[in-house]
Amino acid sequence: MMFKKYLKIWWIMSRNSFVMVMTQRVSFFTFLLGKIIRFSFFFIFLFFILQGAKTLAGYGANEIIFFFLTFNFIDIVSQFLFREVYRFQPMVVSGDFDFVMAKPISPLFRVLMGGADVVDLITIPPLLVALVYFGSLLHPSVIESVLYVALVLNGLLIATAFHIIILSLAIISTEIDHMVIIYRDITSLGRFPVDIYKQPLQAFLTYIIPIGVMVTVPAKIMMGVVGLWGVVSAFIVGIVSIFVALKFWNFALTKYTSASS
Amino acid sequence: MNKYLSIFKISFQEEFVYKLNFVMWRVRNIFQILLIFFLWSAVFTDSQTVIFGYDKAKILTYVFGIMIVRALVMSARTSDMASDIARGNLSNYLVKPFSYFKFWFSRDISSKALNLIFAAGEFAILYLILVPPFYFQTNPLTLLWFLVGIVLAIFIYFFILILVSSITFWLPELSWGGHFLITMVIVEALSGALFPINILPLTLQSIVMATPFPYLIYFPVQIYLGNISGQALLGGMIMAFAWAGILWLIANIVWQKGLRSYESIGR
Repeated sequence: MMFKKYLKIWWIMSRNSFVMVMTQRVSFFTFLLGKIIRFSFFFIFLFFILQGAKTLAGYGANEIIFFFLTFNFIDIVSQFLFREVYRFQPMVVSGDFDFVMAKPISPLFRVLMGGADVVDLITIPPLLVALVYFGSLLHPSVIESVLYVALVLNGLLIATAFHIIILSLAIISTEIDHMVIIYRDITSLGRFPVDIYKQPLQAFLTYIIPIGVMVTVPAKIMMGVVGLWGVVSAFIVGIVSIFVALKFWNFALTKYTSASS
Repeated sequence: MNKYLSIFKISFQEEFVYKLNFVMWRVRNIFQILLIFFLWSAVFTDSQTVIFGYDKAKILTYVFGIMIVRALVMSARTSDMASDIARGNLSNYLVKPFSYFKFWFSRDISSKALNLIFAAGEFAILYLILVPPFYFQTNPLTLLWFLVGIVLAIFIYFFILILVSSITFWLPELSWGGHFLITMVIVEALSGALFPINILPLTLQSIVMATPFPYLIYFPVQIYLGNISGQALLGGMIMAFAWAGILWLIANIVWQKGLRSYESIGR
């Protein structure tokens, strides 16, 4: 019942967000074009690097491309779902968050998922096709494919946890206005398998900010190089991340001062 | 001159209003450099390997060079011009007794000075941590050409930002979108900030080199590395100089046309 209610609210909020974006069509097409070109440039760069180097940290061309596509899928789906996070900080500074708090729905739900991004939605289907194509070239078993889907969902859960922490930080410190951009810079290190990074950065990306678990582990399962313990610990990290993020959000709410309102 | 010096000083102090914000902004640069650094380190596992004409020392110098050259060339506030136009704030400046272009150029210089200080610090820290094989250029003439390349790059970037911001005269909703598409996507990739242009096939290289973008980062860093000399250096300098002139001319024409369309929306 509760799920149905929130699904309906999400649908209405997303529809409104899409309508708003479509009122500025030139801007919409500019952003869409920008995202496509950026992806293409990086893909071309990767293509030429792999032509020269043949392998990267022991991975072949198709494997590296699959890592890159998995990163992009998780990144784009989180941007599609959580675009509202980018607009949260001004809401706190102006005190407009009061209006969200006063409404009979979860404020976290509203500020996390209140503005789905149609530009990102459009780029998801072609990315999925590319993922299926390059994934099939790795010849995974059925179990590996199922686990890949489960681990990608787990990666999205970790991405959700990161976005909740960013929202919480926006309440606690209004001084940083681009925490979400910094998050994206850090996660961009997951474009490639974390194996390419040296210690202690590799450990940092595996245990502290679990980008390795979020992106590298799902892709690796398709290559058959992750053991049972790796899979189990990935799910544990996912659950712990969301638990910690929700606790942090509840703590941040107690620090909200309703300034400027 | 004094008024622009005052603008420089005020802009410099402004950056310190939100100190943590600025520091976090610099942290972003470190992550971007780390990604490219480790990616190239993975490509050049053996220090004797030569790919695309680079050995490990030269490619990692290229990566570190990006850090400094980017701070000098791409640290700029002129992109904010777009929101001035979109919100009608431009009117406040047009009635003031100074050149609007020089106003933004002064702000750019202050941003570059501050970012250069931080970039130099980051450079030193990352150098000590990562201990990369580094190529030190010792030829004073090459270093002089490198500086000339940087100055030309600063002007090219300034005029590109004016041109992109000018789109807002006709399409106010593109104040941010225009900079996203051109400055953050196209300039970023084709300037050499993502990869050295000469890893591309020759035909593609020739096309990219005919645009103003590689003269922002790729060309100055190549001069530093000593990969460009003689006629190629002279040819590149002429191209960079020509692009600075052409863009200056176009920026002025477009700006004048834009001012005629300007309606001071929001005022």
